[in-house]
Amino acid sequence: MSTLLFERSLPRFAAARVVSSLGSGRGVGIGPLRLVERDAPRLPAAGWVRVDPTLSGICGSDLATLDGRSSRYFEDIVSFPFVPGHEVVGTVASDAVAADGRALTAGDRVVLQPVLGCAARGIEPPCAACQGGHVGNCGRTAFGHIRPGLQTGFCADTGGGWSSAGLVAHESQLYPVPEDLSDEDAVTVEPVACAVHAVLGAPVAGGDVVAVLGAGTLGLLVTASLGHLAALGRCATPSALLVGARYGHQQKLARRLGATEVLPPDQLPRAVRRHSRSLSFGGDPGTTATLSDGADVVFDCVGSPESIAQALAMVRPRGTVALVGMPGRATLDLAPLWHREVRLAGAYAYGSEAGGSAHDAVSTFSLAFDVAAAHRTGQLVSATYPLSRFEDAVAHAGAAGRRGAVKIAFDTRKGPSR
Amino acid sequence: MSRRPGFVLEVDKSTPSTLFWNGEGFVLEALPEGSRVVYAPEPVKALEDPYGAIRHALLHPVGDRDPLPALLRPGMKLTICFDDVSLPLPPMASPDIRQMVIETVLDMAAEAGVDDVVLVAALALHRRMTEEELRHALGDRVYDAFAPHGLLTQHDAEDPDNLVHLGQTDQGEDVEINKRAATSDLLVYVNINLVSMDGGHKSVATGLASYRSLRHHHNPSTMRHSRSFMDQPSSELHSSNWRMGRLIADSGVEVFQIETTLNNDTFPTNFAFLQKREWEWSLRDRTTYAATSTALAKVPPRLSRQILHSIRSPHALTSVQAGEVEAVHALTTANVWTQQGVDVEGQTDILTMGLPYICPYNVNSIMNPILVACLGLGYFFNMYRGRPLVREGGVVIMRHPTRPEFHPGHHPSYIDFYEQVLTQTVDPTEMHKQFEESFATDPWYVHLYRTGHAYHGVHPFYMWYWCAHALAHVGRVIVVGGNPAAVRRLGFSPASSLDDALEIASDIVGPSPTLTHVHNPPILMADVH
Amino acid sequence: MAGSGLRRRIGAARFPLAAPTWPTTVERPEPERRVGLDYDHEWSRRYPVRLARAMVLDNVTRPVARLVAPATVRGLEHLGRLEGPVIFAANHASHLDTPLLLTTLPTGFRHRTVVAAASDYFFDRTWKSVLWSFALAAIPIERSKVNRKSADTAADLVEDGWNLVIFPEGGRSPDGWTQPFRGGAAYLARRTGRPVVPVYLHGTRHVLPKTPEWDGRAPGGSGTEDRRGGRLRRSPIAVLFGAPMVPDEGESARRFSDRVEAAVATLSREVASDWWQARRAVSAVAPVAGAETAHRGPDAAAWRRSWALDPPPSRARRPEWPD
Repeated sequence: MSTLLFERSLPRFAAARVVSSLGSGRGVGIGPLRLVERDAPRLPAAGWVRVDPTLSGICGSDLATLDGRSSRYFEDIVSFPFVPGHEVVGTVASDAVAADGRALTAGDRVVLQPVLGCAARGIEPPCAACQGGHVGNCGRTAFGHIRPGLQTGFCADTGGGWSSAGLVAHESQLYPVPEDLSDEDAVTVEPVACAVHAVLGAPVAGGDVVAVLGAGTLGLLVTASLGHLAALGRCATPSALLVGARYGHQQKLARRLGATEVLPPDQLPRAVRRHSRSLSFGGDPGTTATLSDGADVVFDCVGSPESIAQALAMVRPRGTVALVGMPGRATLDLAPLWHREVRLAGAYAYGSEAGGSAHDAVSTFSLAFDVAAAHRTGQLVSATYPLSRFEDAVAHAGAAGRRGAVKIAFDTRKGPSR
Repeated sequence: MSRRPGFVLEVDKSTPSTLFWNGEGFVLEALPEGSRVVYAPEPVKALEDPYGAIRHALLHPVGDRDPLPALLRPGMKLTICFDDVSLPLPPMASPDIRQMVIETVLDMAAEAGVDDVVLVAALALHRRMTEEELRHALGDRVYDAFAPHGLLTQHDAEDPDNLVHLGQTDQGEDVEINKRAATSDLLVYVNINLVSMDGGHKSVATGLASYRSLRHHHNPSTMRHSRSFMDQPSSELHSSNWRMGRLIADSGVEVFQIETTLNNDTFPTNFAFLQKREWEWSLRDRTTYAATSTALAKVPPRLSRQILHSIRSPHALTSVQAGEVEAVHALTTANVWTQQGVDVEGQTDILTMGLPYICPYNVNSIMNPILVACLGLGYFFNMYRGRPLVREGGVVIMRHPTRPEFHPGHHPSYIDFYEQVLTQTVDPTEMHKQFEESFATDPWYVHLYRTGHAYHGVHPFYMWYWCAHALAHVGRVIVVGGNPAAVRRLGFSPASSLDDALEIASDIVGPSPTLTHVHNPPILMADVH
Repeated sequence: MAGSGLRRRIGAARFPLAAPTWPTTVERPEPERRVGLDYDHEWSRRYPVRLARAMVLDNVTRPVARLVAPATVRGLEHLGRLEGPVIFAANHASHLDTPLLLTTLPTGFRHRTVVAAASDYFFDRTWKSVLWSFALAAIPIERSKVNRKSADTAADLVEDGWNLVIFPEGGRSPDGWTQPFRGGAAYLARRTGRPVVPVYLHGTRHVLPKTPEWDGRAPGGSGTEDRRGGRLRRSPIAVLFGAPMVPDEGESARRFSDRVEAAVATLSREVASDWWQARRAVSAVAPVAGAETAHRGPDAAAWRRSWALDPPPSRARRPEWPD
């Protein structure tokens, strides 16, 4: 059975880094990822079950890993060799009990909630975060009875979605897929959950001006989630949702998913200025123009130093910049952040979302299923590849915007070669 | 040789190609046989002694007004307002007509011992003029006598302390104008009447007004009912201004209007071929055409702009009249028609025009796509009396590169208008409802208008409303040689050549349409029978 | 890296490698003031310095002044008949005035002349004091009042055989019209018994205008700022010397000062016409009143005062173009 294995190999790592500097995804051919024949990992303990992936997405963090540019921070919460792939829809190989307590029979479709928290690691009693349902904030992803790994797809013991051999998952990671949801919709549920978590974690108030930087998968899903959650009453309705999208297909999708205005990223600050009725200062060559008022919340769905700097220049004093896209090392001028008391907040993964007075606390994934169904987020899946064409797949994902795509996924249903 | 009147040429096999302006350059286009080309009359003879004529006009006013010296006395409050940088086009060679008039007025004021004198540039919502522009318009002597003391001011339509609400007209239109001007014992207005739209009550009622007042006539509905706004009796824009002007007069503001007309001697000798009929081009004209059109096409737009914007026009004074506004303006309008009027028989299916590098709103600046639309559909289209040159449902073909370039200092709100409004609607009424107010009250645009050299936030809307009559009247607008993305953003069709444009037009006007080309500039007004 | 390490070491140096710091408990005396009126400029009149100055004045200042401001000079014949030191009293509109006047003086005067310069402007820093003492043989005086010390110095110098250039207005004119003369020149003339030569400097304000002193904001809003100050432009210039004047028997310094001012006013009329017409224009009214109308400008609103001034020469303009 075919599996894409990511091994620890410093020379290959360095080579990937050099080549990928020419363009994300280009270095995968000489990088540490290899197609191997391998069986599914053994089940680590009771409560674990094998899942056979159907579709598995390529995420921005996967690309960063393959390009060799992900942060060294992750070194100790990743174990090698691992099988990438944490955006997974698949079928369970045997009967099990899902995270919400529903019974699953062999062959049922599930979406994987990939975070490997205390429950999956057999840590008793669980940490405070896991106890509160905030599994994404679990601090013990390097401990317990499986090897380190913040998520399935970064852990040597669990396997990952980029494999036709299957992976192993703890029952607390399994979410059954409703009948009416296609596999394409289902494979986007994990990124939708990230977007939902980011939206509900940001202090959006009624009438706010909200800006979204970047219209890749996350940017588009944040746009969709904000609209849907506001309609559900789970978050406030902004007066304007402004999206910076570089490419034509992204702009069309962003409009369809509920953006008030969609502009190329270099024009976004002007739209934010106008909607927030701000003055503007600075902006001479070499400095970024700063808005006197600016957006109340900026979702940075890119995560580059440039995008964070742009977000800081667009946000109002005491406003919030939510980092949704995975950032890395960045050199930033933090004077405006200090002077304007801007909150720069991370937004990672998912867990449980407090509903406030009007709603019950609910798991992020169940909201994500709602959003995926409402917006048919499977429309973002632009192309699927068999594992044997992984080099093409990763190259396509690395140039997704330029090549008119959003989400690229591996299709493991059709066998290793198609 | 006596002056030849305007002329309509019928193109035949021996007609040479016709000059089309094309932004910062020009091209020769072969028009189909049977097309008509409208040429402006030749320049009216200039007054021989402009200073003497000005003095004479001030001493012999028309209408119910005393000679200027009789209105001047020590201790009075005198305000002299003048037209801004948007007139004349291109800027005239020194001395500017405003300088000549204002110097004469000031000599009289100094003689009469008037101490309290303030100059106001009547720029409404236009950008503030720069020091160089003011010095050019007024001359160093006036500038140096007034600017250092803060007595040379530019109308600020957003300064609540210097506006006064004089009341509402019988149609409920607010009249709010410059307070210094309104509370003066005498308001002398120094006008340049380049086109028949200028002057009259519009000078004070528009030039010195606030947004609150201007919105009553600068809106899609008024502009659609101004047919055309170049023909005062048929212009709703002017009816509104006239109501306001009368209210201003009734509120006790004494206006001494000085209007001037210029001839259409538009280009200096080295560019003279631009105002000649092609079959009369001499060897020198043909050589300069070849050299300049090639050079302008080769150099980057920035440089060709600089070259063309440094042209100073030899415009000469043809008449000056002073006194009561309406009496003065009647004379002025007649003089403008003498210079610009051309009789044209019947309408046409296709109207073609070559748009030059300059319009009233980009002097020393960049002609952005919105101004391109305004110059073609606002100005050139409306240069008619009676009926539009193009029939209802006909096609307008303009030639201009229409690059999406903006002057960030002069036109900041235009950039947002282009990026955020035109992407959503090109319908004047719709944008009026949805966007106008937020642009008009935007604090950043207000700040730039008041402290920098920026057009007011609402100004791009006005430019688009200027096109409202044409947009409702014509079936399609085609831009030849324009940047396709920008042209589509404006809601027009791009074409790569005149032949392509005629091909596109045939969908609307059939295979053998009539075609009329307006050979403008020099400015002409078509009297369509 | 090595550089920054070295810098850190130097920064970390302590006494005695570094200079000692003053104990907080010990009171520190005021530093001795050696600029302004207290500046000791005696060195600038020693022989080698005079020689050096003469070299600079003749070989640098004079050609530069000729180039920047080619001047028409009238009335030099009045100086030809004079013996010994005199006091030059001139109107003042531009920084160009001093070098212009110095370089127009005949050689006999040029190298034996000191210039009275405002202590608060030309002598407020040591380097400026040195520069002006050397280049113009400037001596510090107080603008507004007669200071005992500076008056004594000036009088001593005149009695010592030095000519003195003084601008009795006390500073450059703010609007182009001459300001009322202060009594300094007349006082010194009375005290030393030396004659005053009235001088009128015409047109310098167009060549190097005074920079307006607004705090960054144009009076009529943007567009009405005057950016011409402090920049050189070409304009016709004239230097007119009048006949030497001595105080009459029993004439007060105040009265004599008025007479000097009237003489400068007469010279100002002479620019446009000739000596006789100028005399007639001024003596048609009383000498003192004539001075006012002739060069102090009309007593009217600011614009009319400016309006009555001679217009600046016209110049070619280029449109301002965006970057």
